[in-house]
Amino acid sequence: MTDPQSPYDSGTTDALDPANLDGHTIEELSAYLDAERTPTNFSIESSPGCQIALTALGRLRELTAHTLEAQAATEPAPPDSWVRGIMDRIALEARAGRDIPITHTARTAHLTMTEGAVRGMIRAAGDSISEVIVGRCQIDGDVTAIGEPVTITVDVSVAWGESIPLAADRAREAIHGQLAKHTELNIAAIHVMVQDVRFSRTAPGTGVAQP
Amino acid sequence: MAVKANDRTWLPAAAAVPDGRLREAHDRVVAGRAADGDPHAFEVLVRRYSTLMRVYARSILGTNDEADDVVQEAFVTAWQQLDSLEDPGVVKSWLMRIVSRRSIDRLRARREHEDIIDYDPPAEAASSPAQMVQARSLADAVGTALASLPAGQRRCWLLKEVAEYSYREIAADLDVPESTVRGLISRARVNMAREMQAWR
Repeated sequence: MTDPQSPYDSGTTDALDPANLDGHTIEELSAYLDAERTPTNFSIESSPGCQIALTALGRLRELTAHTLEAQAATEPAPPDSWVRGIMDRIALEARAGRDIPITHTARTAHLTMTEGAVRGMIRAAGDSISEVIVGRCQIDGDVTAIGEPVTITVDVSVAWGESIPLAADRAREAIHGQLAKHTELNIAAIHVMVQDVRFSRTAPGTGVAQP
Repeated sequence: MAVKANDRTWLPAAAAVPDGRLREAHDRVVAGRAADGDPHAFEVLVRRYSTLMRVYARSILGTNDEADDVVQEAFVTAWQQLDSLEDPGVVKSWLMRIVSRRSIDRLRARREHEDIIDYDPPAEAASSPAQMVQARSLADAVGTALASLPAGQRRCWLLKEVAEYSYREIAADLDVPESTVRGLISRARVNMAREMQAWR
């Protein structure tokens, strides 16, 4: 049951045995590690026993992180009621952003839509392409002045196995279509950044987008 | 007349991406979307990391009772501050730092009863060798070694090695001298290494 990569597997657990440290102590090595091995201690650096011990001590960091992950994997998932407890406490309207004006025939009418609403529209448009999921979406330019050119940059995830350029094109078209229909934004460009290619758990390796 | 189309107007239920698809996306995309205000994406993050955060909080606090509350508070804070996160790809370590801070707040609140950096006994094997030998996997062995550390050592160790705090940040948050933090972390490392020696 030992990890073959581990400095702690059978036979090498004596890595920390003082007898192998050429006169140095574990405390000394730990302090040396904390000092990022500077100034160079030639006695430690030239001792094979100390080198092995330093590796073992250094690995404790990743082993700790790995152990917490392993413990988490054995715990039950949080109950839905607990998750709902969090979702109920967060303010859903917190990300309104800037106000984007909309022209109206009546001069006295002052019509706006929030940047958050436009982002929601962009997400919905991009998501309508089955192999695409929209991530962060940035609207650059002065959206508060009608007619000013704006640039949209969206992060997307594309399902594995799909043509990435094609998926990006389809997302761009869908977003452009929706924005042209529902807003008066003067869109100079829509940049689609593919940030991640995801694997479907339900159709492993096939890349078949779920309907 | 001021008319404002609010988010809800443009986000009918049908706009929510099917949860299954979102759950498969990487942190960068999910967290970026949550930062833009999508609660569905945020819920995916809650389900993805709450268990790890609970295990971590429990280890810092030393009890199970408050861990769930601390994680819940951490997520509420995360939602409020998510749009300040420059690189959504590092959301996991960012969440670990928030849950660290929340845990420390709890420790501070109990300070009248207990010192955050409690009495730190000299290095000695706290878990029985038999316990360590019985550890069935490397992770079990490390878990046993971690649990056997005095609370002060364990807290500083986790803050440094899991939440990636600097010595200075730990010292400031726990309100102790930096030299104390260095000493505790060094002793934690030595104690863990000694404990691990018993595992074969």
